[in-house]
Amino acid sequence: MALLLAHVARGDHEAFEVVYGELAGPVYGMVKQILRDPAQSEEVAQEVLLEVWRTASRFDPAKGSPAAWALTMAHRRAVDRVRSENASSRREQRAAQEEIIEGDSVAELVEASLDRQRVNRCLDSLTELQRESIKLSYYSGYSYPEVSQLLCVPLGTVKTRIRDGLIRMRDCMGVNW
Amino acid sequence: MHGGELVKAAREDMHVLTGGYALDALSHSEGEDFERHLHHCPSCESEVRGLRETAARLAMAQAVRPPARMEQRVLTATYRTRQLPPLPGERAVRNLQRVRASRLLAGLQGTGRRESGLRLPAPRGNSQRRWTQMPRLVGAVAAASVAVAVGLGITQISTQHQLDTVQAGNVAITRVVQAPDARIETKKTNGGDVTVVFSSEREAAVITTSKLTSLPSGRVYQLWVLSSTGARSAGLVSQPDQASQVLAADVRSGDKIGMTVEPSGGTSQPTTTPVLVMPLTT
Repeated sequence: MALLLAHVARGDHEAFEVVYGELAGPVYGMVKQILRDPAQSEEVAQEVLLEVWRTASRFDPAKGSPAAWALTMAHRRAVDRVRSENASSRREQRAAQEEIIEGDSVAELVEASLDRQRVNRCLDSLTELQRESIKLSYYSGYSYPEVSQLLCVPLGTVKTRIRDGLIRMRDCMGVNW
Repeated sequence: MHGGELVKAAREDMHVLTGGYALDALSHSEGEDFERHLHHCPSCESEVRGLRETAARLAMAQAVRPPARMEQRVLTATYRTRQLPPLPGERAVRNLQRVRASRLLAGLQGTGRRESGLRLPAPRGNSQRRWTQMPRLVGAVAAASVAVAVGLGITQISTQHQLDTVQAGNVAITRVVQAPDARIETKKTNGGDVTVVFSSEREAAVITTSKLTSLPSGRVYQLWVLSSTGARSAGLVSQPDQASQVLAADVRSGDKIGMTVEPSGGTSQPTTTPVLVMPLTT
């Protein structure tokens, strides 16, 4: 996909379509995991994918994979939304919608079964505190202090657990970077 | 913001923030401090890189098909959106050239088209098996199906742009990995990982090795398909310290994948005790 991005950087729309096909699912799925609201998630995912088009020339394959590059942008953008001023009202809204959305995403999530199987197996190998810290910060977009409050553990512990948990995930999934 | 306080707190152990940074758990100012620290801490930088790739896998596992209208909107928007020029220094370009060069070296040439329905001959199970040395970008992450899907992107552009093409073997590899019944299993051995993706439906397995301990000269890692009728070679691991992939055809549930250390050039039958045996199950 690194080569595809080089074509995208030169304004190749056809190459971008292929990149879109590879990234849209993970980007949308992850953003939706954080924001929950489908309309908002769609908006953010659209922005991120357009950003892939716009900034393709800045992608540096030495710094990571194209997927990680795009998903880092997507996660940051989703988290920025959550943490913006009216975050509190959004969260209430989110709580109200949670049940309905949960139902339809469950069936969809099964599709990513291979990745999921592996990720879950690795998540299971973590301690509960590591696992919960990682899920709350990555999948729910909470900050260190928020995770610390939610889990009733000191801030320093959260920092350590997120790091050593992620390192374990990295090794468990055989990520070589 | 209480920058001073945060800096003080962060200094206590900046390195521990790599995880939170990769997951965006840091506050804005904490993040800025950490980014400054990153410039002077190559080990933090490489750790962040690995943890970001890890986070990407967490996202991949949550992939959901977006509404169809989104694609049209984004594609339309690209026609109205000016792209950023490359940064001066052209570092990215140079890196891409390196990637391209390594691909060419790897001999990822030939023809292949994923969606044409064209039937490509799957390499047969003999010792003449073709080896595909994936470039680091793809190969390093090839252990996961996600990554092979990324490789697939390369297959597509290759055909669409007729700039680069890939071996028929690559298409066959993609088919195995994308088979609905594909099962993935990884084992650690000789300092590295061996990952096997097996599809009973396709009667094929993709074996990926990465970062195996280098062997003394004159020795080579050899992969085997072990079935009730005996052992047949699945190929040699030419560069053990990097990632390589091999496709084993004609394999069935109940067969095993084995790896032995053999004299250079490989042998027709295993001559040493396998360093790894992985049963294929569905």
